[in-house]
Amino acid sequence: MVRSRGLVALVVATFVAFACGSSGGGSSSKGEIDIGSDLPTSGADASSGLPTQYGAAFAIEQQGTLKGFTLKFTPFDDAVNGKHDPTKGAQNVTQMLSNNKLLGMVGPFNSGVAAAEIPVANQAPLAMISPSNTNECLTIAFDYCQKYAGYTPSSLRPTGKNNYFRVAANDTFQGPAMADFAFDTLSLKTIAVWDDQEPFGKGVADNFAKEFTKKGGKVVARQGFDTTSKPDFHAWLNQAKAAGAQGIYAGATSASYGCIPRQESQGILPADSYYLGPDGIGDGQCITDSGSMANDHMYASQGVADANSNPSAAATIAKYKAEHPNASDTAAYTFAGYDCAAILIDAIGRAIDANGGNMPTRQQVVDQMAKTTNFKGLTGTYTLNAAGDPTSPALQIQQYKSNAWTTIKNIAVTVS
Amino acid sequence: MAAAVQRLRTNVLATPTASLVNLVGILLVVVALLATVQRVYQGGATYFFETVGFGLAEGAIFALVALGYTMVYGIIELINFAHGDVFTLGAFFSAALMGTFGLDEGKSSGAEIILPLLGLFLVTMLFCALVNITIERVAYRPLRNAPRLAPLITAIGMSSLLEGVMFLWKGPFNLHYPNLLPSQQIPLGGDVTISAKAVFVIVAAVILMIALTLFINRSKLGKAMRATAQDRDAAQLMGININRTIAATFFIGAALAGAGGIIYGLYYNSYAAFDGFQYGLYAFTAAVFGGIGNIPGAAIGGFVIGLVFAISDGYFVAAWTIPLVFGILIFVLVFRPTGLLGMRVPEK
Repeated sequence: MVRSRGLVALVVATFVAFACGSSGGGSSSKGEIDIGSDLPTSGADASSGLPTQYGAAFAIEQQGTLKGFTLKFTPFDDAVNGKHDPTKGAQNVTQMLSNNKLLGMVGPFNSGVAAAEIPVANQAPLAMISPSNTNECLTIAFDYCQKYAGYTPSSLRPTGKNNYFRVAANDTFQGPAMADFAFDTLSLKTIAVWDDQEPFGKGVADNFAKEFTKKGGKVVARQGFDTTSKPDFHAWLNQAKAAGAQGIYAGATSASYGCIPRQESQGILPADSYYLGPDGIGDGQCITDSGSMANDHMYASQGVADANSNPSAAATIAKYKAEHPNASDTAAYTFAGYDCAAILIDAIGRAIDANGGNMPTRQQVVDQMAKTTNFKGLTGTYTLNAAGDPTSPALQIQQYKSNAWTTIKNIAVTVS
Repeated sequence: MAAAVQRLRTNVLATPTASLVNLVGILLVVVALLATVQRVYQGGATYFFETVGFGLAEGAIFALVALGYTMVYGIIELINFAHGDVFTLGAFFSAALMGTFGLDEGKSSGAEIILPLLGLFLVTMLFCALVNITIERVAYRPLRNAPRLAPLITAIGMSSLLEGVMFLWKGPFNLHYPNLLPSQQIPLGGDVTISAKAVFVIVAAVILMIALTLFINRSKLGKAMRATAQDRDAAQLMGININRTIAATFFIGAALAGAGGIIYGLYYNSYAAFDGFQYGLYAFTAAVFGGIGNIPGAAIGGFVIGLVFAISDGYFVAAWTIPLVFGILIFVLVFRPTGLLGMRVPEK
């Protein structure tokens, strides 16, 4: 079903492209430029991966042609057996590199996959731009990176030059943003924190705990669970209760059983206890897993701003929703996916100009990406710094109410 | 009782191991026990009993699955890797049948659900049992006299096949299992409470285990199973239908796993296609822990592993729980290679 709809979109896009090409008169298409994407679009991660892919596809479809070149979208899926897989991601990038018309890629979705892909893409170099990677060590060399993430920005970039960009705010913001929100807005003083023992989950949980403690709150029952299989959280939830926790912070994603403890806490913690987490739990799977404990005391942060709060994005969003009417076609990173593709198209356009209207090289596209300044996207205005990070990333806090994750606060941060 | 303790003592002392290794072992046990006692003392009695309650509930499900492993291993020395997936199948099948039995999360969780729930148990157990004897007929019986590695591989194949079927049926996602049981806490005296769900899990598992023990010890088929487990050829010479007896073993083991699947669903309210494999691994560990082939051993092994999980999660570092479980397994097997209660496998 879903796949066939994607195919229809592609066919439509091709027709539109042809139509534009011939009506432009005179200058027939100079050829084709491919834009790839690598996202988990099957299995447990698909609930966030597919809507992101739709966003990127929509941006490319809207553009159609670029300075005489026909744009083509080539999506890849990095899920194996239903879970995002770094090895598969790296293979996908290798496949993209073998296509010499492919000048840039949107993705990947998960930080762990990015760590496997950046070194492969870096050799080419292929411009990558991720809507949702949040691990800080992908772009910033903190002294703990090698020890806990297992990599540093320079170890991921064998050529020594950057080819990786993102629009999402990194974990140094997402954890603290929720900690501030929990302490200041929700007035919580004691929170139990667990993580899934993965780079993303542990990083975001550590950053949450650090900020929450700094504010004067108390972190209790700090534990990590092996989530290669489904853990039993009952005994730990009881520990959290004994320690007086008013809520739980889950440094996890839905694919690593992020909201299973919510259902298991029934009878142990009151139904109006709080359940907080990063973007990884802000999806429908979390609500399924929370079962009868799913309620409006659940909050998730998202590493991008809410496009709906940007008035100039309304027309594009309406167009997207007309083409993708299902509620499940739009998720937290859909319009970040759109923006990533749009930034890439913009950079390719400038690279074409820089190359005298001819097909640019991959290096020229990477160079132009690094020069992205004040790009007006749907989710914000982006300037990318030398490390690949947005200089003023935005976050949002969402609350689960009236059967949907609803944005209740946008938070802007500035990176020096 | 005194005689049993005496026998256990002689067994332990009779285990031929180097005295230095023994000393190190005893030291490790003492250190671990002291650390646990100290933590437990700090945590207080209420917390301890609640933790034990969660451990017993988790262990009860391990025990139910372990019984099927141990029975099959006891009779044909096969590690039935598909057993964990038959357990998951129980959860899948029962979830699909909820509506047919008029069970629904929204409805009351009072006394009126008891009868439909019993019906659901019976149908699911029967279904899982039929699946398992089909697996035995197709993948194990033709290989009964083949090298032992061959049925081991067909067992892994069957496991993947069942996982694949469930994957195609419902996808890889975590699914919500209807929350039918009452959610209140039952006071146990003092401040100690236990959830009604945990009580249900423990009671249901114990009832099934008692029924199994009675069946094995009192019924004619049970006697035939014991005889076949002891010596297949001699049993055959005595007129026991070996094929039927082995099929019955698979039938009963899978019925328990199917019941375990429902209990798992009702307790955790979550199930997924791949849950069974890892669960089967813990259950198999429980069976080896208690002494493979030994039915009370598997039950005790299941409860012990559940308790280790809960105590490690509740008092120590949760990230180390799984290494700890397998560490204890290695430890026990080094000192008692036949498991806690001794293994019971066919005599050669």
